Amino acid sequence: MLEVNLSGLKLQSPIILASGILGVSYSSMKRVIDAGAGAVTSKSIGPRPRKGYKNPSIIEIYPGTFINSVGLGNPGIKEFILEIKEIKTHNIPLIVSVFGNSNEEYLSVAIEAEKAGADAIEINISCPHAEVSSIGIDKDLTYDIVKFLKKTLSIPLFVKLNPNVTDIVEIALAAENGGADGVVAINTLAAMKIDVYTKRPILSHGSGGLSGKSIKPIAIKKVYDLFKILKIPIIGCGGIDSWQDVVEFFLAGASAIQIGTALYNGTEIITEINYGITQYLKNNKYNSINELKGLAHQFKTQEVPDFD
Amino acid sequence: MTENTIMTVVIQEIIDECKNVKTIVFNMKTSKGNNYITPKPGQFVMVWLPGIDEIPMSISNCDNNGNWSITVKNVGDCTKAMYNLNIGDYIGVRGPLGNRFEIPNDKSKKIFLIGGGIGMAPLKFLSTYLTERNIKHIIIEGAKIHDDLIFIEYFKESKTNYREIFYCTDDGSYGTKGITCDVFIENINQFYEKELSNWVIYSCGPEKMLYKLFQICQDYNFEFYASLERIMRCGCGLCGLCALDPLGLLVCKDGPIFNSETLKKIQDFGKYQRDFTGKKISLE
Repeated sequence: MLEVNLSGLKLQSPIILASGILGVSYSSMKRVIDAGAGAVTSKSIGPRPRKGYKNPSIIEIYPGTFINSVGLGNPGIKEFILEIKEIKTHNIPLIVSVFGNSNEEYLSVAIEAEKAGADAIEINISCPHAEVSSIGIDKDLTYDIVKFLKKTLSIPLFVKLNPNVTDIVEIALAAENGGADGVVAINTLAAMKIDVYTKRPILSHGSGGLSGKSIKPIAIKKVYDLFKILKIPIIGCGGIDSWQDVVEFFLAGASAIQIGTALYNGTEIITEINYGITQYLKNNKYNSINELKGLAHQFKTQEVPDFD
Repeated sequence: MTENTIMTVVIQEIIDECKNVKTIVFNMKTSKGNNYITPKPGQFVMVWLPGIDEIPMSISNCDNNGNWSITVKNVGDCTKAMYNLNIGDYIGVRGPLGNRFEIPNDKSKKIFLIGGGIGMAPLKFLSTYLTERNIKHIIIEGAKIHDDLIFIEYFKESKTNYREIFYCTDDGSYGTKGITCDVFIENINQFYEKELSNWVIYSCGPEKMLYKLFQICQDYNFEFYASLERIMRCGCGLCGLCALDPLGLLVCKDGPIFNSETLKKIQDFGKYQRDFTGKKISLE
């Protein structure tokens, strides 16, 4: 009932762990799978170890809404291969998120990950608080990197989209034309928090990316817009913390979803969401969650306002 | 506002504990208002030093007026900046975070609090908590040298029949010469086997010490709790830096207090932690 197929990547549940959350050790990723996720996405991995920004780097500004500027801290692919291999001994569907300073660096990390057993690659060209966001705001650079990676990689390639652009559809189309197997929408939104007593930005980097509850309506709108144009699957992401949220993303046009920030409530939330979706499908006489995809698009919306 | 929101608070009091160690007191009740949550012994806070860093710190005390304290040893950049703070300075505090020391309902339990160095911080809170509830307990406090022993004055001033204290130092400059594990074993040796069935041990300190204590407690079948420390960013179950293999338990959410049943299954315990990049490295 909950099975989905993302360009050949078969998952038991449409819930995927989003990149950057608990994606450091095999053991916490295993815990997420044990809770019922269909796949996990690793933290973004680069060619070499990187500490990222100092703390504070993750802060909660409203209940369930966070701003982070981790700054792509990661142990480097050489070290992370050990975790990939460990994960694969547990037969966990793994998407490795990769980044680099050039297309060649992206490729070398992705190839290492594929060799070690990754089931798919997600490219992070959209982190709003790191230099790699420059690719994700340009349709030509996006097309080039996707085309370049697809030439060599044999596992599915997903592109995580940057919402901090004028037209996300244009970038997504470039990814599709380059040969991407899917897009992930959306990454975090550029955001900031200033403390009124000390009068300084709280995050060590000054600003970061907004995630969690507050960004869900924005992500829904992006997925809805992308579904009208794209042929490749859309993986919805942004503020999901209930089965209703997952259903909403499917209705907007998602083929799977990612969950991240909401896991601060514990991984059990995944089990609850799977159960909730199953009940919803049964109650509404659907055989599969795939039947929900894009259903919101069958309704005409008012294009021109009434004038009197 | 949640317990995870950074609250900017003013430092109200600073207490010199010993060479290189100070206790910093601030009020959380006035800043948190209706969202105030009373912390429990064993819980921690993330402390933000504006412009420097944000690090996890054990709560070393809390009174009924909502005054919390943390006890800091000047060992790194952030703790040095914290050590040099003055009354009236601002710090940011998130908490209380994590779980707590589980206190037995059964009053017949023989309770030990065993702390090494700055690891005494959460145990001071626990001792105060137990004393307020008329629960007897024995403290074993160890440090390298006399100058490193903290709270000696506090325990003297708040002397009570509910608390018994043994001090030890590596060089014998105060209390027994030796380490906490030695003093603990001496304690064990004073009892007949049948008298050892109801012991509970709460501990905090260098992880090598905790591991040794854990082994001793396994041998005698004692109930054992240890407070672990790991590098963390979020303190709330998101960043994953404090994950313990192979169970994927998080020190920030599932801990920092773990019992022997759990510790037994954690391969990282006493051996590995992760650095700020997420790389697994040896402890110390």
